[in-house]
Amino acid sequence: MTGWIHPGIVVFLGGFLIPFIKWRKIKLAYFLLLPVAGMTIVVLTSIGFFGSVPSWPEGLHKWRIPFLQYSLVLGKIDKMSMIFAYIYLIAAFCMNIYGLRVKNDWEHVAAMAYVGSALGAIFAGDFLTLFFFLEAMSWAPVFLLWFRGTKKSMGAGVRYALWHHFSGACILAGIVIHLHKTGSIELVHLPWGWGGEFVGYNLMLLGFIINSATTPFHSWLSDTYSEATPSGSIYMTAYTTKTAIYCLIRTFSGVPLLMWMGAIQAVFALFLAVLENDGRRLCSYHIISQIGYMVAGVGIGTEMAINGAISHALCHIIYNALLYMGAGCVLVVVGTAKFNELGGLYKYMPISFWLYMVGGFSISGFPLFNGFVSKVMTIEAAELIHNAPIYLLLEGATVGTFLHTGLKLPWNMWLQGKDEPPPNIRAKLKDSVVNTPVNMLIGMGILAFLCIFMGVYPKVLYDRLPYAVEFIPFTTTRVFSIMQMFIFTFMGFWLLRKLVLGYPTYTLDTDWPFRMAGRQLIQFCEEPLMAFANFVDEKVMNLVHSLIWFSRNPVFALHIKKEEAKLKMKRFIISPERAEKHKQVLEEKRRRYPGELPKLTLGASLVLILLVFSLYLILYLLIK
Amino acid sequence: MNFLRNYPKRFFWRVYFIGLAVSLILDFVWLRSDVLHYHFPFQHLPEFFAIFGIFGCMLLILIAKGMGCFIVRDEDYYEKNQGDEE
Repeated sequence: MTGWIHPGIVVFLGGFLIPFIKWRKIKLAYFLLLPVAGMTIVVLTSIGFFGSVPSWPEGLHKWRIPFLQYSLVLGKIDKMSMIFAYIYLIAAFCMNIYGLRVKNDWEHVAAMAYVGSALGAIFAGDFLTLFFFLEAMSWAPVFLLWFRGTKKSMGAGVRYALWHHFSGACILAGIVIHLHKTGSIELVHLPWGWGGEFVGYNLMLLGFIINSATTPFHSWLSDTYSEATPSGSIYMTAYTTKTAIYCLIRTFSGVPLLMWMGAIQAVFALFLAVLENDGRRLCSYHIISQIGYMVAGVGIGTEMAINGAISHALCHIIYNALLYMGAGCVLVVVGTAKFNELGGLYKYMPISFWLYMVGGFSISGFPLFNGFVSKVMTIEAAELIHNAPIYLLLEGATVGTFLHTGLKLPWNMWLQGKDEPPPNIRAKLKDSVVNTPVNMLIGMGILAFLCIFMGVYPKVLYDRLPYAVEFIPFTTTRVFSIMQMFIFTFMGFWLLRKLVLGYPTYTLDTDWPFRMAGRQLIQFCEEPLMAFANFVDEKVMNLVHSLIWFSRNPVFALHIKKEEAKLKMKRFIISPERAEKHKQVLEEKRRRYPGELPKLTLGASLVLILLVFSLYLILYLLIK
Repeated sequence: MNFLRNYPKRFFWRVYFIGLAVSLILDFVWLRSDVLHYHFPFQHLPEFFAIFGIFGCMLLILIAKGMGCFIVRDEDYYEKNQGDEE
């Protein structure tokens, strides 16, 4: 534990101090400084202050902690964890600026715990540490959802927790099976295949796939991200899925199944995005689609593809946070992000619009924006393995991405042929061109600058990738083909622009069977199962009551029961008057019950006790 | 600059159509020379990326709209059903 301080722990624990700082300005400064402190540690680490970082794939191991007979490694520092840490912290800083006006301190705490645990996961050198931080990561966003306080967000929080604890259980099961087999918890690349001996690995893969929102397990993402608080959702876009991609790269790179899943996911999410009406849900589908590129890159597994997956994950954090911020600031300013209620906002929020558009151009992969320099790596990797279907799916996803984030969303939110927004929206806007809070614009501005900077000067990214890169993104072929594609995508959009308007609808997703099954289960529990339980309960209680009644005076009780039986028998022979009289006597006896208790003689008591003992003996002998 | 300020839409469309024409012509010219390096035979088809862009985009919208017939519901779909049960 010498020297090095874990940046994730600094951010994680540091966050819990925020609510205890009294002065607001100091509190905000402290909130902004947390990622800066983390960043300082990461920069010092990379310049070799804590010992030189060996070349990839070797790593520097810090913070070894003995646990049972194993050694936990909290700080495995290599090229891959370093580049993720850089981007995580830069993004966290911008997100903190964006979220400065949030009044609820505990929202900041949840966000910092989230960022801290994400950093913990990427520095983990063994499976147990990784699992611990993944679990911590699955809790923090639940609070970011719950702090919004609407009924929908409460439900979304529970669903988020359910999905992630299911995936956590899968990962843990995989880890335990792996540990049982190999006796080692070191974080290593795992074998993969079909069949009995790979059950544990497949479980772990399933866990990572759910965490990374790969189709068909993507629905939790669009379902929950759009329900979080405007600034909380920004954090959510960045960390969970990208950490899952990081885990996939570490453990399952080169699994062909992932290549196909990723490529299909990249296109599938876009179909659902066409039907979407909520700006933030639309961006969520784009996260899913972009994750498709990364998953496909991991699946292809060549050096170029892994580099592509990593750089795309990092660029994606930057531009997607920017997109979400753009949609989020509309939500903050006018209270809705639904397309059918918006339009014509350009006049009142032009700066947000242009900053959003930088994100839109980046995610589409326009040359000179950061999406381009990372996306083409994965596409090129697909070309180099000569897999035409994968190439076509990924290229097709580029078209769809530009259609939605570059055209549909800005068209519906900001432009839509009108010069003025609808009257109820207009009433919430000031007569100024700056309606967005300044801190939000600054956060967006820094991210937009990064999008362009990384796009114009990709060397800053490429130099830090694990595998040495000899890759020039700006070739005539690529720039020309992508530009021609976009020009004609625009024409397709313009011809069908009436079809992509927002309608107030909800699109079912792959979670429909789960939610319906869950609902049926609850309904089954609430109705038939509860009815059965009540029935059993009633019968048992009746029995108990009659036993209590009987034990108050067993002799008299037996007498009453005997009389009752007699009356029932006699009813048919004796005259009704006598029967009535008999009944009255019986009622009188019942009323007097338990009456005077009979007094047993000593001998009778002894006989009874002996009887019980002998019954017990017989029972004992029988069972034995 | 004045033109851009006064007629932004017209300016945009002029630039757009110039770009469109240039891309179509360049594709024809460059395919015959050795400027473009593609990996798959279908990329060598004339105007492949133009066709891919426009038809990809339109197909995406139309297929999604077709899917929409089956999967689009009211906005409060899940909440509404829950309300009935409670």
